[in-house]
Amino acid sequence: MEKLSVKIERANSEVVDLFEVDYTKEMTVLEALEEIYRHHDPSLAYRFSCRTGLCATCMMIINGKPGLSCMKLAEPSTNGFLTLAPLPKGSTIKDLVKEL
Amino acid sequence: MKSMEVIKTNILIIGSGAAGLVASVYAGQAGADVFVIDKGAVGKSGSTVGAVQIASLGAWSQPEDSVENYLNDIKESGRGLSDPELMNILANDLSTRLEDLIDWGLKLDLDENKEVAVFPTAGHSVPRSVSARKGKMGLAIVQTLIRKVNSMDNVRKWSDVITLELVKTSGHICGAIVFDQKTNTPYLIHSNAVILATGGIGQLYPITSNPAQTTGDGFSLGLAAGASLIDMEQVQFYPVSLVTPHSIAGLCISFYHYSKLYNSRGERFMTAYEPEFLENTTRDKLAIAIATEIATGRGTSRGGVYLDASGELDKVKKEFPHEFTLCTDRGIDLAKDRAEIGPAAHFIMGGIQADGDGATTVPGLYVAGETAGGLHGGNRLGNNALSECIVFGARAGLAATAVEGITSAPPSNSPQSKMTDLFLKKIQSPTNGHIRPHELKEKLQGILGENVGVIRTNESLGKALQQLKEVEVELEQVKLSSTGVYSREILDFIEAGHMVRTAQAIVGAAIQRKESRGAHFTTDYPQMSSETYHTIVKLDDETMEFGTSPVKGGDR
Repeated sequence: MEKLSVKIERANSEVVDLFEVDYTKEMTVLEALEEIYRHHDPSLAYRFSCRTGLCATCMMIINGKPGLSCMKLAEPSTNGFLTLAPLPKGSTIKDLVKEL
Repeated sequence: MKSMEVIKTNILIIGSGAAGLVASVYAGQAGADVFVIDKGAVGKSGSTVGAVQIASLGAWSQPEDSVENYLNDIKESGRGLSDPELMNILANDLSTRLEDLIDWGLKLDLDENKEVAVFPTAGHSVPRSVSARKGKMGLAIVQTLIRKVNSMDNVRKWSDVITLELVKTSGHICGAIVFDQKTNTPYLIHSNAVILATGGIGQLYPITSNPAQTTGDGFSLGLAAGASLIDMEQVQFYPVSLVTPHSIAGLCISFYHYSKLYNSRGERFMTAYEPEFLENTTRDKLAIAIATEIATGRGTSRGGVYLDASGELDKVKKEFPHEFTLCTDRGIDLAKDRAEIGPAAHFIMGGIQADGDGATTVPGLYVAGETAGGLHGGNRLGNNALSECIVFGARAGLAATAVEGITSAPPSNSPQSKMTDLFLKKIQSPTNGHIRPHELKEKLQGILGENVGVIRTNESLGKALQQLKEVEVELEQVKLSSTGVYSREILDFIEAGHMVRTAQAIVGAAIQRKESRGAHFTTDYPQMSSETYHTIVKLDDETMEFGTSPVKGGDR
């Protein structure tokens, strides 16, 4: 199965975690995170609700730019990785989860 | 166990969609101290944000529209199960509640003549649906309400807090035990009254239009506190939801009245089921027609049928821009492609039994929005979810304000329910088990999807009941491999507990209804009975009891 390399810059952690996720066509960033929670790391924290781009709770930094994880397709940037990080503004509760 | 920290307030509101926030604002305006909590982010979780339009009465209404007209449509749609008192209140209070929202800054979408744009909706005899923020009515309403809440010192918000159980003293609700996910701390919130506004049950099914939070918590909490559930078998499947792609599976296609549906043989099958209204019929009839096509082998390989919207594409683009754009972004070109659609769990008409003020049979316990039962009967009309929330949220908020509290605090060290007990033990010894909570949730979704969908049978319901008992046992065998703060595993575990209890209520109620009515369709009793009755579910000392009761206002 085709793999997608996902780097997650988790808040309050010096380490950048790397996951090799099973890739399916037209997969969104949120689906990649769900895949990581289910099969790689049950401690991964991220917000989501509507899955259709309305609630905006799943906003994070995706390959260097802010975006909704439910709307952005999971695609590596030019460095070969899909890189995720929490939004820089405001306090972060854990991993990709901001105080809202 | 050591005592929990106690937080005091007049009114605890659980859930922060339209119903919970409207209740917060009206209770706050009446002078109550209000705590509004949500297991996700306040004002950004739950089904409200996804709602496109609201049914309305107001200065913009068509000349032929009226309270009576609206009332007749709801009554017709409810298949004899809608409570006459609740219908009357909805139709009579709606315009005033909308005026309040407009006073607080809600701006309705306008048409090309700068008049309020009024749209037709299937099942409504007159166009009466309005929107805001270009087809994002739910979002516009919560944003308006959050602004209002933020301006009130006596209304406090608390995100990321999930409720484990409601607490009673001398038969009166006096608060809840909640769990703060940010600190992994249980708290006792001591209040005069509690309003449950936790939304619906979409996540009990594998494909749903609902957001992640809709795990039926309120029904489970209400049952455990002694409230009755009414007509829980009445689960509305949004007939026309995307089957693929996976990332937006379950997305409602609200423009089905502008579309043509075809089976895999290329037949426009609605000509056989509803020759007069075709696709523009009520959701229950459309869902049964589509599910029948699929069940009899005329569906697609993914279990759907085809939707062709190319004939009215301009209207689709204009009235439903968000859905149109989402389809386009995910590779569905509606101008030339047919979308693959099927029924997805969307709304539960049943719920906690309550009067016109949202008061349940348990003193101090109120309910509003989708968590309440009885208004929509056997079928909810399109765009009547938000109208229910704003009308009954306001009434519940005001009624709860008038409740005189129990002054003595409940004991803060003794959970009253088996489920809370199990949870508190589990976080003490989290790895003592072998099933991950999300696996249990998926198992439950599979059981309901396969056996308690649009088309039901005696056999499928019996099977579901049996399998749910196994899931209930497996709750004790859950392993929590991650128990740090903001643990999704802990959240999934608590939700799984609420899901099992609510699913058992749905299946038990469905077994009680020995006929097909509204959204409940069983091939063993395909006809509507001449006798009209409600199904009732109660929980007595951890044992679920099922029965029926006569409808108000006689048979239909």
